[in-house]
Amino acid sequence: MAEISAADVKHIVVACEAGMGSSVMVAKQLAKQLKPQGITVTHAPVNQLADTPHEIVLVHRGLSARAKQAVPESVVVIFDMFLGDLNMAKMVGTLQSGGVVTDG
Amino acid sequence: MSEFIPSGGGSHTGWRASLQKLGGNLAGMVIPNIGAFIAWGLLTALFIPTGWLPNESFASMVGPMILNLLPILIGYTGGRIVHGQRGAVIGSIATVGVIVGTDIPMFLGAMIIGPLLAWILKQIDKVLDPITPPGFEMLIGNFSLGIAGMLGAMLGYLAIGPTVSAISTVLGNGVQWMVDNSLLPIASLIVEPAKILFLNNAINHGVLAPLGVVEAEETGKSILFMLETNPGPGLGILVAFWLAGPKILRGSAPGAIIIHFLGGIHEIYFPYVLMKPQVILAAILGGATGVATFMVTGVGLVATPSPGSIFAYLAVTPQGDHLGVLLGIVLSAAVSFVVAWFLLRLSKSDASDADFGEAKAKSAAMKTGGK
Repeated sequence: MAEISAADVKHIVVACEAGMGSSVMVAKQLAKQLKPQGITVTHAPVNQLADTPHEIVLVHRGLSARAKQAVPESVVVIFDMFLGDLNMAKMVGTLQSGGVVTDG
Repeated sequence: MSEFIPSGGGSHTGWRASLQKLGGNLAGMVIPNIGAFIAWGLLTALFIPTGWLPNESFASMVGPMILNLLPILIGYTGGRIVHGQRGAVIGSIATVGVIVGTDIPMFLGAMIIGPLLAWILKQIDKVLDPITPPGFEMLIGNFSLGIAGMLGAMLGYLAIGPTVSAISTVLGNGVQWMVDNSLLPIASLIVEPAKILFLNNAINHGVLAPLGVVEAEETGKSILFMLETNPGPGLGILVAFWLAGPKILRGSAPGAIIIHFLGGIHEIYFPYVLMKPQVILAAILGGATGVATFMVTGVGLVATPSPGSIFAYLAVTPQGDHLGVLLGIVLSAAVSFVVAWFLLRLSKSDASDADFGEAKAKSAAMKTGGK
């Protein structure tokens, strides 16, 4: 179970199949929310996660197995909904107020 | 790395992940090049003899783009994924061999030979790198690529081109047989559930679009571009969730409708279906309705609409086909809406929020595992 302290998070990468569609959309939303924390949010294809600098990977549940396979050491946060996802909101809350982000 | 099986965290490497990975690799060779497809699609729609502004000079670019440029870009990208810039270069060289060995657009051939030759070059580099004397890196690097590339192009010309050409003919005849016997709507039975499992790009860019391009090159348009990309079923489902879905999902539905139908990001409706899996029936029936309408009205698209937005659809619809295309989208949305609305009302009578949580957990387990 990978985990990371909120203070150590500088880069989040959102992954989707092609790294050009849904991941870009989610990354844009998150970038706005996490700008005050100085966290950069990028996007990538799930196959190229290993080549993208990150402390946290954010991915839809349908692709989570492949994300964990690509970067087994990284914290992989999973979401179900592209809009208004509770788990994503929880992660943002942790990053804003401090704490530890874990897999799941 | 691909053999690594995570020990903790409950993630499995199931058949679905493998299938997604294969499809993801196919789609990964195509999707970065969609801009070139759009340029070609617009040139075709505008300037061919049956287009909006027939122009012989501009139309002369259509053939070279579809036969040469697009497969080479796919071979280039496929090679780059495997072995960086060197892989990209050798993938392009080898793709030329596949192209000139046949007379149809060689998308599938490029998807095979690009990564294959890049992988072979990667193995060659592994052997040569440690034994290359200092100062000879450039000489050996350039000639190993050049010689392997030449042999790869010859292999493509002699073996891969003719083989893939034969396979494409068989698959194309199979599709034609389905069209002739009015069986094409049955494809929705496979396509719609596969989409929900995030195999959407694999199916469209990996299978349907390469076949559609062959047909479009001969007849000017293809219905195969429309099997997976029709935004109608997703629209109907999202509207049904907006009006009759579980309360927790209703708020986000209008935003999702805009992103799906106008923006063309179909992924956004998959989670809704995964949380109420019975709604897949609405997607299948809506999809089949759309395909049947497209088939009966005899419409097609000149290129694959990517992303599957209504705007992309209209841009690649050939002159005279707009009515049939729009009718198919509207009917598929209507059928999906009615079926999804009915299913959601049916499940609502016995579903409390607690049941919803359970359903969510269940579908979550189903999705992650998938072995």
